[in-house]
Amino acid sequence: MSNPLLVFLELLGRREPVRKIPELADLEPEQSSSAIFVVMRRMRAPLITLIVIFSVSVVGLTLIPGVDGQGRPAHLGLFDSFYFVSYTATTIGFGELPWPFTPAQRLWAIVTIYASVIGWAYAIGSLLTLLQDRAFKQAVALQGFSRRVGRLRGPFFLVAGFGRAGEILAKDFDALGQQLVVIDPSSDRIDALELGSYHADIPGLVADAANPRHLGIAGLSHPSCAAVLALSNDDETNLAVTMAAALLRPDVPVVARTVSAAVAERMHAFGAPTVVNPFDRFGEHLRLALNAPSSYQLLTWLESGPGATLSDRGQPRRDGLWIVCGYGRFGREVAADLRAAGLEVAVVELVAREDHDPDVIVGDASDRQVLLAAGLERAVGLVAGTDNDTTNLSMLATARRTNPPLFLAARQNLPTSAALFEAMDPDSLLVPTEVVAHEVYAQLSTPLLWRFIQRLPAQGDAWAADVTRRLRDSCGDQLPALWKIRLDADQAPALQALLRSGKVRLGDLLRSPEDRDSQLDVVPLLLLHDDDAVLTPDDDVVLGVGDQLLFAGHSSERRALESTLVDDSSAAYVLFDRRIPSSWIWRKLARAEVEPVGERDREPVESRTE
Amino acid sequence: MNLEKVIFGFFVLLAATLNMGFFVGDIANPKLHNIYELFAALAVSLIATVLKFGDRTQIGAVHLATSLVADLQLIAAGVVWVWADEISKAGVTLESTASVVSLSGGALLANLVSVVLLVTETVTFHRG
Repeated sequence: MSNPLLVFLELLGRREPVRKIPELADLEPEQSSSAIFVVMRRMRAPLITLIVIFSVSVVGLTLIPGVDGQGRPAHLGLFDSFYFVSYTATTIGFGELPWPFTPAQRLWAIVTIYASVIGWAYAIGSLLTLLQDRAFKQAVALQGFSRRVGRLRGPFFLVAGFGRAGEILAKDFDALGQQLVVIDPSSDRIDALELGSYHADIPGLVADAANPRHLGIAGLSHPSCAAVLALSNDDETNLAVTMAAALLRPDVPVVARTVSAAVAERMHAFGAPTVVNPFDRFGEHLRLALNAPSSYQLLTWLESGPGATLSDRGQPRRDGLWIVCGYGRFGREVAADLRAAGLEVAVVELVAREDHDPDVIVGDASDRQVLLAAGLERAVGLVAGTDNDTTNLSMLATARRTNPPLFLAARQNLPTSAALFEAMDPDSLLVPTEVVAHEVYAQLSTPLLWRFIQRLPAQGDAWAADVTRRLRDSCGDQLPALWKIRLDADQAPALQALLRSGKVRLGDLLRSPEDRDSQLDVVPLLLLHDDDAVLTPDDDVVLGVGDQLLFAGHSSERRALESTLVDDSSAAYVLFDRRIPSSWIWRKLARAEVEPVGERDREPVESRTE
Repeated sequence: MNLEKVIFGFFVLLAATLNMGFFVGDIANPKLHNIYELFAALAVSLIATVLKFGDRTQIGAVHLATSLVADLQLIAAGVVWVWADEISKAGVTLESTASVVSLSGGALLANLVSVVLLVTETVTFHRG
């Protein structure tokens, strides 16, 4: 508030104080110009050395007696002397000007040459050292980064932590055209970001995201920041990011990843972040797979994204013992979920813990004897959930050899093990980073899909089987693109008047504009009417202005539907089997015979408003 | 006592005093203004400028600005002198001397501002 006029206006109460986005940028000016300051500070000594050497050389040369062209005694002037020292010191060496030097002058010239060479070597050496200097490079990188972030105009997501999950998400969002800003403490990861082939230029910074100042530089205080994703491997960092975002930008949605329920609870204390816990989700999925296999099948199909093939996994059996190997955070979640589903569970853990649970069998789970002791032969399912991929794989191999029909669920820890797990082909595989990436993607890219997924388990298994069948009938085994339309003036200009009069049925809208007796091959998954969601709305639902619809269908069907939405004559044909000319002249000419559908339907609305 | 402060104060003051030494005397009389003194004033002023590099404070920025002004004025004075002495047919005349000395007078003003800043900074500095 440096402008006195503004202060005055505010005192008068004329002017609402602008609500400021909390300034994390207090230290930013310092950051943004620090590179040039580093250079100037470090170059002080070399520059002063050069100035001193020059001055002494120039003055010395004017004081040494010499002779002119005719042999008369003469001194070099300051100007000539400066000229000589300048070209000598820079190793250009035009020779002895304006007259040949006397031995005394040459003696001084030798001193000048050596002194100035040392001065230059020192200055240039310092400059090169500075360019190699880590602190300087960081300052330059930080400056470039904050400039790129400051220049962003469209909405962007701030991604804190660029591990495996961050990379998958960056690819997906980049394909959608969503701008990102990435911050990660590891320079390897930022290098990977810069080497990766993305459409957009994604600014990346090597810094600790737990520091709010770094978040500020990465654009937390930027007005276009649309969401914050805390995706690092470290729960503590994610909590810090969630806190910083909730306190400094309460208006921005936060999605945070964690594997600990306690941390999730602490995150919920700050605003309303969306917390993604991959272990928790896996347990829920497993329970869903046990109770409602069709719902599970539909859920995984929709979550895997467009192009995924429908999986027909073996259905887990409920009538027998389940063995959970590894009783860490993951094992506990899964065991609790399985017990909640009413199953008998045996747990195997490598080391005994202080809070020893009498049901836990202590032993190396990759050892066949231990598995047999846990009841492998009569078991119906096994969860290989230790944090060691080799152990998990050997456990799977042992279990499959001993008891082939067993339902196998496994946890993959490292991305490098992906090929091995694929070859092993367990019935259910948890890759925590991918679960996180899929969930975050579903939530942020298509919020309607997220609503659908959240309400899916409650709809029952028969319903899910029916939806799956409809999707397969209309779109085949590969999941088609999911897209949404909003019936507003922008996306459905041809329907506005009809929507207001309440004459548009969903079933009519989905007729083909080529031939209205055939239906478009799309499946309406969700209808959102005034924040009221209807799953798989049927054909008789009447649509209103501003309704949002989520469809599954190929892009050709989507184009057909869009032509109905924007073209008056298509809309009239599809909805009411009326043909109206599409050009203005023909419409004027045909008006006498056929009254355009839009005109007639607008009338009752207008009379009501009058 | 801080050696850096000593060196800094020394050069800032020396730049001002040398400048002053060249400036005093009849403005148009070349005999009263030694060109070596101008050279020394320019050299010291350049050193003072470099010493002010890299200070991020507000007062540091003003310090640097005054020094840059002084440098510019002294370099202009030097160029005018070289032009008069070496290039023009008339040699060092009343007019050229007056021009050199008045340019150095401008530099003197900038140097004095620099000294005032130095003194202000010292006076407002509270230990502990």
